[in-house]
Amino acid sequence: MAKIIGGVGTSHVPSIGAALDKGIADSPDWKPFFDGYIPGKEWMAEKKPDIAVVIFNDHGNTFFLDRVPTFAVGVADHYDPVDEGYGRRSIPSFEGATDLSWHFVDKLVENHFDPLVCREIEVDHGLQVPMELFFGRPENWPVKVLPIWVNTIQYPIPTPQRCWEMGKVLREAIESFPGDERVVIMGTGGLSHQLQGSRAGFINREADEDWLNNIANNYEKFRDMSREDYVEQFGSEGAELIMWLVMRAAMDDKVDLKMKHYHAPASMTGAGMVVLENL
Amino acid sequence: MSDAQIPETPLFDRKGSIDGYRINKMAMALGDPANREAFKADEEAFLDRYKLTPEQKDAVMSRDWNRMVAMGGNLFFILKIAAVDPTPITAIGAAQAGLDHADFLKQRLGKE
Repeated sequence: MAKIIGGVGTSHVPSIGAALDKGIADSPDWKPFFDGYIPGKEWMAEKKPDIAVVIFNDHGNTFFLDRVPTFAVGVADHYDPVDEGYGRRSIPSFEGATDLSWHFVDKLVENHFDPLVCREIEVDHGLQVPMELFFGRPENWPVKVLPIWVNTIQYPIPTPQRCWEMGKVLREAIESFPGDERVVIMGTGGLSHQLQGSRAGFINREADEDWLNNIANNYEKFRDMSREDYVEQFGSEGAELIMWLVMRAAMDDKVDLKMKHYHAPASMTGAGMVVLENL
Repeated sequence: MSDAQIPETPLFDRKGSIDGYRINKMAMALGDPANREAFKADEEAFLDRYKLTPEQKDAVMSRDWNRMVAMGGNLFFILKIAAVDPTPITAIGAAQAGLDHADFLKQRLGKE
């Protein structure tokens, strides 16, 4: 059986990748943000996972509005970075954890989920940035990836409760997978931000801190909140935080909060991370 | 979702998706370098290719981000217009908040 070695929640703000590309990660604006991820990187290096499951949303880069999957799962052998309008970033292609992906798709459908299954597809900053934050900029990524896309762009977006249920299936899939792979689960997005409407620039530091403090062992209120609650508390784009629930639900009921970090603003976003381990 | 509105917070729903389809499709195309070159060479001709209405064209060509969003332009697509310029995302935020850029950075993002 494959083994879940930990769960990570993290922001995936595109300017993080841009800061790395421009070589300004050590600037006064960015250094406090990146410094907070150093322990996370060390943790990942020590844990040596073989596969990273990355739950993220596309941002109008891979999926257009002609077809909007509520949930999509990658089964490709590799995933190239997509051109988001600035040219393709020079980071390595991501190798796909194909066998685990197909196994997960089987388990999803057996459990009455109906995912879009993607055989050939590119990935945007939603997957790239979390990988860079926890694995740095290696010549080749040290893990294979299993991408899960969640629609958070066009309403109706899935409910937080449905994301939670998907996390339960993810756990079942990993634990029933015939192999000895070590798997890290990365729930990404947020924290609070709003990019559209006259409330643009909304950041809720208090709600962000509450999320980071309680997603580990006091998660029930977040699991049970409505989509409206998410938008109100975390901003229209901050509702991306529902994707952390997939990760959290795949972990034990009680977990060890190994580390957390918060910095605001990163660009227009409250940004940060947690690292969780099963006890 | 219920119809209850969260103040100052438009959600990209059925109406936005239908109204903004052409703007968003045009903007999506700017993920391709050849289309970016065509856009830069003759912006109006490029917009015509995607059958934008005169109002939509005017909003795009005058970089009226607030109107683009009001007409169903979704930020994640229209960011590709911003990428061509380039316009910082905080300037798009400021335009929607009705603040000048420096005030926006200070008041909304807490930057000095």
